[in-house]
Amino acid sequence: MEQFIEVKHVSKSFKISKRAKGIPGTIANLLVPKYEKKQAVQDVSFSIAQGEMVGFIGPNGAGKSTTIKMLSGILYPDAGEIKVNGYIPYKQRREYVGSIGVVFGQKSQLQWDLPVIDSFELLKAIYRIPEATYRKNLNRFMEMLDMVEFINRPVRQLSLGQRMRADIVAALLHSPKIVFFDEPTIGVDVVGKEKIRSFIRELNAEDKVSMIFTTHDMQDIEKTCNRLIIIDKGAKIYDGSIFGIREKYGTTRQLDVEFSENYTVEPIQNVEVKELNELDGRKKRFIFENTQVQIDALMNHLLQNYGIRDINVSEPEIESIIGKIYAGEVC
Amino acid sequence: MKNDTLHLAGVYTKTVMKSWFQYKVDAVLRSLAVFLREATGIIVIYFTLLKFDTLNGWNIYEMLFLFSLLFVTYGILIIFFTGLRDFGGTVRSGNFDRFILRPRGLLFQLIFCNADWFAAIGHGGLGIVLFVISAGKVGVVWNAATIVYYLLAIVGGVLIQGAIFLFLATLNIYLLETNSLKELFYWNMRKFAGYPISIFHKSIQVIMIYVVPFAFVNYFPAQYLLRKSDMAQYPDIFMYLTPLVGGGMYLLAYAFWRFSIRYYKSSGN
Repeated sequence: MEQFIEVKHVSKSFKISKRAKGIPGTIANLLVPKYEKKQAVQDVSFSIAQGEMVGFIGPNGAGKSTTIKMLSGILYPDAGEIKVNGYIPYKQRREYVGSIGVVFGQKSQLQWDLPVIDSFELLKAIYRIPEATYRKNLNRFMEMLDMVEFINRPVRQLSLGQRMRADIVAALLHSPKIVFFDEPTIGVDVVGKEKIRSFIRELNAEDKVSMIFTTHDMQDIEKTCNRLIIIDKGAKIYDGSIFGIREKYGTTRQLDVEFSENYTVEPIQNVEVKELNELDGRKKRFIFENTQVQIDALMNHLLQNYGIRDINVSEPEIESIIGKIYAGEVC
Repeated sequence: MKNDTLHLAGVYTKTVMKSWFQYKVDAVLRSLAVFLREATGIIVIYFTLLKFDTLNGWNIYEMLFLFSLLFVTYGILIIFFTGLRDFGGTVRSGNFDRFILRPRGLLFQLIFCNADWFAAIGHGGLGIVLFVISAGKVGVVWNAATIVYYLLAIVGGVLIQGAIFLFLATLNIYLLETNSLKELFYWNMRKFAGYPISIFHKSIQVIMIYVVPFAFVNYFPAQYLLRKSDMAQYPDIFMYLTPLVGGGMYLLAYAFWRFSIRYYKSSGN
């Protein structure tokens, strides 16, 4: 079966002008420009089904934006094929972009000096949205995102959270089948973020809109997506569930123990012991890999040899796992 | 379909106007400021020229007529081509990406999203004032034929300059910034175009006829209406070519644009 979004062996490189230092270098560069080739995306493939919510993450400069730009038709790939909803984005731009919505968290598409509603009216004309659809979508989104109070206010007077909500609605008025979110919660406060995330979840559940996120906020992904694609140095390094990434990379466990007195703990094989300097030194942390050390064996060992008041096991945060993957510590 | 495009053009215009009128005083002052800035330049030239009786046979009113063509065409030009004039900034800020993401023609969006009506009133207004001052005193018989010729020349003159903007905008796709080229080939040539080209060195004349053909924006159309003796050194046919040169140049620039847009590189986030 053909997938909704199909990306096959896509590569893209940029020419970057290489500058020699100083004024002589600048002049030399003017006369004989030198270019350096930078491989932004290299042989990336994936497919996404209709209605899926996918988080697309990677460190700065990993090739996320380039991939999103190719998917949305802004850039041509050098090699490979992209097909979305039956269209080739970069070849059938005009037909294709009517079925997608794009939210750039960093860049508003609203008219800065005008009330929010004026930008919406302009989009209605640009996308040829029928009056009935426009009314229906606008009323629904306005209610879901609490926008009634600021819909008639100029964009320049809105808070960042309000502006972001308005921008999200702007990208959805024409009922797109796919929505790309590029850092949709950047700079928004906690309450605002939560509002945006729950709106996105609701929209996906009700309308089966496919969504792709790029973000640096792992909470965005954890709370909305069930699938994660990690890209680094232009190549895909992980594609699977969020749960799977814990299983695959998050094997480190930590056990915080509050002892009844300040023991000197004998060394245990494969376990790192850390003093936490709390409660007069009675609290210690045991760090180990759950592939090497059985947690029940370790706990038994401690209970038999020492007096214990409290015990607490924790898994690593998804954020720290991702951090380690970026740093090249796991794989 | 066409109707729908017109509708969008209308909505764009309404939105642009509304944005400007958020700052009413500034909007009106802007027209006035542009008018006065340009008029000051003309007044300085006027007093300088009073020292001569004629310049290569052109008297002061004929010179003002020449200027009026420049300003009338520029006034119309910036209604339609401001977006192309400022295209470098649009590319560098990444705003061009947004146009690509909307299901409409790219040039269409660039044109109607940026129409600078208030500057247009300033430039065009000055053009009309200069025309009114000079038209009655340069011996042109205004009848149906001359009026039609005049209007066609205006259209051609707008297209010639529009093609230059479109060509330079397209170069932006490759070079990211073309301001110095614009300075060199557009603004400098426009300064020359304020005078009858016959007063300049041959090399400048060649540039103004064949490279950046400002001569067809005002000098040759004015010659058709005024018939000054310095026209003898150029082929008569030049007086009739303005609409053709404009249309031809615009088509070429448009083809270059269509070809190049494929190589557009988004300027990153």
